[in-house]
Amino acid sequence: MKRQSKEKFTKLICTAVMVIVSLTIIIPLLIMILGSVKNPAEAQQFRLSLPTQWHFDNYAYVVKEGGIARAFWNSTMITVAVTVIVLISGSLCAFIISRKQTKFTAFVYNLFLLGMVCPIQIVTTFGLLKALNLTGTFIGVICVEAAMLLPWTIFTLTGFIKNVPRELDEAAFIDGATPVRMFFVVVLPLLKPIMATVLVTTAMGAWNEFMVPLYFFNTSSKWTMPLTVYNFFGQYSSNWNYVFADLVLTALPITILYLACQKYIVEGATAGAVKG
Amino acid sequence: MSKNSKKFYPNYLTYPAIVLFLVFFGIPIIAGFVMSFTDWNINRLYEPKWIGFKNFQYLFRDEYFLLALKNTVQFAVITTLFIIVIGLILALILNSMVFWKSTFRTIFYLPAVLSLIVIGIVFTSILKMDQGVFNQFLTFIGLGNLAKDWLGNPDTAFDSVIVMQIWKWSGFAMAIFLAGLQGIPKEYMEAAKIDGANAWQRLKNITFPLLAPAFTVVVTMNVIGGFKVFEQVYVLTGGGPGNSTQVLGTYIYKEFSKGLLGRSTAMGLILFVLISVIGVLVNKGLKKREVNL
Repeated sequence: MKRQSKEKFTKLICTAVMVIVSLTIIIPLLIMILGSVKNPAEAQQFRLSLPTQWHFDNYAYVVKEGGIARAFWNSTMITVAVTVIVLISGSLCAFIISRKQTKFTAFVYNLFLLGMVCPIQIVTTFGLLKALNLTGTFIGVICVEAAMLLPWTIFTLTGFIKNVPRELDEAAFIDGATPVRMFFVVVLPLLKPIMATVLVTTAMGAWNEFMVPLYFFNTSSKWTMPLTVYNFFGQYSSNWNYVFADLVLTALPITILYLACQKYIVEGATAGAVKG
Repeated sequence: MSKNSKKFYPNYLTYPAIVLFLVFFGIPIIAGFVMSFTDWNINRLYEPKWIGFKNFQYLFRDEYFLLALKNTVQFAVITTLFIIVIGLILALILNSMVFWKSTFRTIFYLPAVLSLIVIGIVFTSILKMDQGVFNQFLTFIGLGNLAKDWLGNPDTAFDSVIVMQIWKWSGFAMAIFLAGLQGIPKEYMEAAKIDGANAWQRLKNITFPLLAPAFTVVVTMNVIGGFKVFEQVYVLTGGGPGNSTQVLGTYIYKEFSKGLLGRSTAMGLILFVLISVIGVLVNKGLKKREVNL
């Protein structure tokens, strides 16, 4: 009996700790959400309280004044382009690396492994884009972000494709399929779960990227969501109701994506932990 | 088969990824080794002059660069330590829980997917002098005399940046540890229980050794991520007050903005060497330890 009550007590403490930690995450986000529908004076107080009057018009104001529509379009375009490029070129590369053991594929694998560790040399990248006449262009930013996100994609996919049986490949070849056709028709459908993981992670990486667009876009018409919201914060730092509304709009797409695809995101991130 | 494998799995399918990676990631790194030794400037973009080690000589005499270097190392080490401990504790508790497990996991992981810019601006509001939630909280629990302008004070500004990083990544570490814990067969624990091992012995002799791969992933990722720190400082303090919170990432940007491309490339090279050497050493060391355990 005594032991049981001790166990119950431990459980209670554990739950309490978890609730407190959850609150340290939820309260800052709640202050942001509540502040986004308050009037300026109330938002300025950063209270954890409901607004006396609900100001949903803050959102309309931010969309109109903050250049959100254009930034949203820019971010979407860059994210889609980067994701498509990384997924197609990355999966083809991972496919060859995991199916063939040669000096060449070992070299390619190690090259991308190194790419996971190394940081980007941002200033010479600027010089490169300048030389290629790509500074301030979407193409330049898309290529740099894709190159940054490729190593992780290839690394994750290679680990997965190793466990996909080869027998189907061979059957397709006997039927006379070309390697590219065989990959897209036979192998790719078997990769659906891991492709979902890679897709969501790459898309989040591109959407949240701040440093690359900061260095390479000098005109505000090309800015992405994080850049726009940072600049908006600089201009409206005394109007916290607008700043919060802008933040909510920036965080919303990623949060929805996260809640909808949580399984894929967490599994992808943790894949390396179990097998090592 | 080897002949078939040549035909079935042609090398050219790897070329798009390799070309993209080498051109937009590899070439700048190699160029960095050259341009670091020049007086490359935004006004003379195509006429850099070779100046030998002058950039490095300058940097290692520049007190702000040395401070940025020290801050960067400190940031990587301290955040990694806290993230490991907090992530591990959260994972151990969560693993023993029956109810609300996935709800807590969802909440803890959320900061990892949010943009650092969004988080940074929210933290700016929390740490404000007058009405900031953190000072409100301190006043509420009777510690109002501790309230201060956390980001405007050189003594606490950098700690605030560190706290934000820990807040963002602890849940991510927790998820990795949790996946590792779930991979440990239950029979091990039961057998140890029957043999009379207490909770601490089971933790020390079974859980920790079997968590070694997860540990390797968490440490490597957080050390590397810590050295790459940029947005965290840029959005919270901009390197200030003064230069007290400057890190390599932000100092590179500052010198870049002045048009001093050669000098900022030299700093990029130092950061590159630092991360590559430490990243590889940490990973190799931990992997070796995994085998020994």
